[in-house]
Amino acid sequence: MKEKVILQINGENREVFIEPKRTLLEVLREEIGLTGTKEACDTGACGACTVLIDNKPVLSCLTLAVACKGKEITTIEGLKEGEKLHPLQASFIEHGAIQCGMCTPGMILSAKALLDENPDPGEIEVRKAIAGNLCRCTGYVKIVEAILAVTRGE
Amino acid sequence: MRLPDFSYLSPGSIEEVSLFLRDHGKESKVMGGGTDLLPSMKQRICAPKYLIHLESIPELNRVEFDEESGLRIGAATRLRSLEKEPVILERYPVIAQAAGEIGSVQLRGMGTVGGNLCLDTRCYYYNQSDFWRKCRPKCTKMGGDTCNAIGGGKRCFAVFSGDLAPVLIALGAWINVVSTRGKRRLPLKDLYTGNGAEPLSLEPEEIIVHVEVPPIPKEGFASYLKYRIRKSIDFPLASVACVLVLDRKQGICREARVVTGAVSTKPEEITGIGELLKGKRIGDALVEEASELALRASKPVANAASSPAYRRKMIKALVKKTLTEGVRQSC
Repeated sequence: MKEKVILQINGENREVFIEPKRTLLEVLREEIGLTGTKEACDTGACGACTVLIDNKPVLSCLTLAVACKGKEITTIEGLKEGEKLHPLQASFIEHGAIQCGMCTPGMILSAKALLDENPDPGEIEVRKAIAGNLCRCTGYVKIVEAILAVTRGE
Repeated sequence: MRLPDFSYLSPGSIEEVSLFLRDHGKESKVMGGGTDLLPSMKQRICAPKYLIHLESIPELNRVEFDEESGLRIGAATRLRSLEKEPVILERYPVIAQAAGEIGSVQLRGMGTVGGNLCLDTRCYYYNQSDFWRKCRPKCTKMGGDTCNAIGGGKRCFAVFSGDLAPVLIALGAWINVVSTRGKRRLPLKDLYTGNGAEPLSLEPEEIIVHVEVPPIPKEGFASYLKYRIRKSIDFPLASVACVLVLDRKQGICREARVVTGAVSTKPEEITGIGELLKGKRIGDALVEEASELALRASKPVANAASSPAYRRKMIKALVKKTLTEGVRQSC
């Protein structure tokens, strides 16, 4: 049975008409058209679908959209301010931390959640924070460098 | 992969849940974070008619402590909370450490204590999509009458893969279970039947409401070692939880509890080790004997990402490592 659900996404209220079985990932990509969040494994093992809910990184492929009422959802699209990229986004580009780009949105959001909680992490904390985001292209070195560069204000 | 159809409920009290389960328990699944249930539903391993989300019940999501009775953890407490809760870090660091080894940051932010304790048993031939499983006969765990992992027999060898249970069992934890028929309190180890196909001793109308963990003795050493291939995301392939209480002055063991995980259909306490070590000074020879006992008690089959032989050897190595470390730290 479809029901009307109002989701707060990147600061805006979006209304959708959906069944309980729709995951947040499906709703973001298919109902709202925000395709920045990626579907890869769809079973919670890769982190590509990571979004922030109330500033906490979660897997949207395993989150029911109907369970998100009244919560603040942040997707990768919500990071830039106007046309200005978020420092993490700019750093990823500068440091060559993006190859195919599938892991990038989830990776950046996990990094953002870390830096919001701990603005000065060491390399080990960075690696732990992104341990739930798999990348098949880069080997992670540039990704870790890009995140650490932001902490140093570069 | 799409989820199958279901009706969704998010009750606000334990009472509401119990009333609903009394009438619809057999067609329902209770959900904490959904990190085990939803993948299974996507793979059509199960397709409950009703999904009852336990997210909105405050009493299930709290951590309490008092000096006498110890820790009380609500069943819907997120695993990430266990990692960060000050009283757990201070008084039960092994619980924070074990919780921190589960999944990933995202999975720990969603997954719950109750969910990890009630994690479905896993098997390479079971945790697959409907399409994949159609190529083989229906296995015992799916309601058929053969095991695809060993290629015959009726017994199910699906592996218990939770990280919290071995630790909490070693710490002597109890669980509190509720239904409209009343409450019951039982040792956590009695939650597990040992039947890979039906691993939990809960009735369809029952839910776990909280876990009680008695205080760890001051001189106690507790640890959790998890063997897996990658440093995150993976389920355990073999794990060992250990609680050791040594008399510091004489160096004699007062109590030893070793519980293995991921090498059986349930967490297994190796009671022989407790008997072997009690009242003795633990040296290399006893550590070797104890770890050999653990190896012989572990009989995994080829249904996980590492060979049964290697997993058994890892049990021995982990028991050796933890006992050696326990003795070293306690003296």
